[in-house]
Amino acid sequence: MLASILASGLAVGAIYALIGITYNTMFATSRVMSFTAGQLGMLGGVFGSLFILQFQLPVLPGLALTLLAAAAIGVVTEFVAVRPVLKSLDQHLYVLSTLALALMIQQVTAIEWSTEPRPFPRLLELTTAHGPWDQKYWLPVVACAVTILGLEYLYKRTLVGRAFVAVAEDNFAARALGLPERNLRVASYALAGAIGALAGFSGGQLLLAFFANGPLLNFYGFIPVALGGLGNNRGAVIGGLALGLFQQAANFTVGGIFSSVAVFTLFIIILLAAPQGLFGAAPQRRV
Amino acid sequence: MRITRRDLSRATLAGLAAAPLARPALAQTEAVRIGWLAAMTGPSSAPAIGFNRGVLFAANALNADGGVKGRKIEIITRDTQGDPTKAVNATQEMISQAKVHAIWGPTNSGESLAVTAIMARAKMPNIHPCVVDQLIDTRRYPNAFRTAPSNGQWDDAVRAYCLNVLKVRKVAVIGDTTGYGVSAVKASVAAFQKDGAEVVYQANIDATQPDMTPDMLRARNAGTEAIIIWSVSTGMEARLFNTRGNMGWDVPFVGHPSMASGEIGGLLSRPANWEKVFAIGYKSCSYGADGNLPAKSQELVSRLQGKVALDDTLLWWVAAGVDAVNLIAGAVEATGSSSNEAIIRHWNSLTKHAGYFGTYSFTPDEHNGYPTEEVVMSAANTAKHGAFALAPGYG
Repeated sequence: MLASILASGLAVGAIYALIGITYNTMFATSRVMSFTAGQLGMLGGVFGSLFILQFQLPVLPGLALTLLAAAAIGVVTEFVAVRPVLKSLDQHLYVLSTLALALMIQQVTAIEWSTEPRPFPRLLELTTAHGPWDQKYWLPVVACAVTILGLEYLYKRTLVGRAFVAVAEDNFAARALGLPERNLRVASYALAGAIGALAGFSGGQLLLAFFANGPLLNFYGFIPVALGGLGNNRGAVIGGLALGLFQQAANFTVGGIFSSVAVFTLFIIILLAAPQGLFGAAPQRRV
Repeated sequence: MRITRRDLSRATLAGLAAAPLARPALAQTEAVRIGWLAAMTGPSSAPAIGFNRGVLFAANALNADGGVKGRKIEIITRDTQGDPTKAVNATQEMISQAKVHAIWGPTNSGESLAVTAIMARAKMPNIHPCVVDQLIDTRRYPNAFRTAPSNGQWDDAVRAYCLNVLKVRKVAVIGDTTGYGVSAVKASVAAFQKDGAEVVYQANIDATQPDMTPDMLRARNAGTEAIIIWSVSTGMEARLFNTRGNMGWDVPFVGHPSMASGEIGGLLSRPANWEKVFAIGYKSCSYGADGNLPAKSQELVSRLQGKVALDDTLLWWVAAGVDAVNLIAGAVEATGSSSNEAIIRHWNSLTKHAGYFGTYSFTPDEHNGYPTEEVVMSAANTAKHGAFALAPGYG
């Protein structure tokens, strides 16, 4: 039982963490919580199944096309649901615009793809590993590790990454320094699209290619963000993995419906104790 | 000739006086209009597409034979898209504008719950195949007749198979977290306990839950001998079957027809995981031990050959569509009238009326017309031309 809790807990936790990072990546350059994050995860599974099973493409080109397609949807999100409401961020209109776009993505997927879950391919030709060592459990964890390492490298070692950080820190100052803030924001939405799709692709064998995965990922992907602190990717990873493990442990001990109750009870308790998240810094007040 | 105002008035009065005399003649020749509330597109369109093939086939066949007492059958189809609001609008349009003589459908319970009272107010003869028990109430809806089993009948058939054929006494009952899943599990648990069986585990699982191991482990540890499934989520069902395979457990699954859905085949990690899965089916649309359908169903399949595709749908959907049109046409044929009262009175008098899908009986106090004994279990992985092999244990 412990092996099952660890395997599936870490797997779903890694998927939640990746969705959390998707939220953070979009938030960093726009200060917008885009509720399309979960839909990008759902599309990762759907595009993966479409390219690999339906179009019979090999896995790597299938992955590349999936990430590209989701990156394009990330860019569309920025143009359609974020840019028009940036001037009135304090009115929180982005909640409406991003939720509306998320609903549209879900409905179009339901109509054009299927309302029933469809199979997702085995990505690696491994026949020896079964049970908790099955690829469907460790692939999301590997994807999460690769993503966080890649982002660390991007943000700390590359000029573009530093420009992202600069915009995230203070977009007015970044713009004053001549950084192309708007282009960087578009690029960050493309990056977020690819990260969200990677979550759905790497977890496709667990979640299947199913249009209804979007709201689930939106919901559970938001918790690591809140737990780890808004904009804190490392916090999102730790929060996501902890959430996955706790959820699976609750599944085993108290059962499906009550496990959701247990998850949200713990979530509320943590937020009451640490409103800024476990790893978030307390907000500084300028004087 | 000069026409005066007086001549015109006389002619008008004469015309008005003759109108009642002309009406019966019109009724004799006007088409029998059947409203067909079909969710042809949208999430739950698969059954309606199957039903529609049967409806069109039956109407064409009747019209080719000269219609009913010389009256053509006219099918007036409205696509409700599975949306109760659209179903309400379509029903009102059928009643007040299209002036249909009877309505077949809707074919899912959500829509039916929305329109049944509207049809009752208009005394519109209605037949439908929806399973929710509350849809049939001869006091509130004397116009509504069910030509498929109710949820309760499904439940009875599943329980009878578990207790009498599989001879198990300890069952786990699992559903999804939808309203249907929760209410079906509750009813099933109560019925099993009433019949002396022990429900050792019960759960409602979120259909998107990626890992079913926790529930399956708990069910096994509780000593489950058969797992009863009440869900329409093929993803959840496939995950349960795969988990059972990974656990090396051979407990049988018994329950909802969706367990035999073709979509499940693609979601299984091994085809063997679909063994020992027994989904609700119907005697009329099941292959017996000799590999043949019952004679009447075989006759229908032969008639459908080359005209109606069966490989991508279910035979019972097509057969029920044929029966629906035939039941309405039969009422007009027998009574010589397409009035609401005549059709309803005729249906209320039907005893063991042999259709293709079932043998229907209705009385003024019982509008669940499908016999429970014709609800059987099918081996879920045996689909061929829209029909399934009977599960083991039927003589």
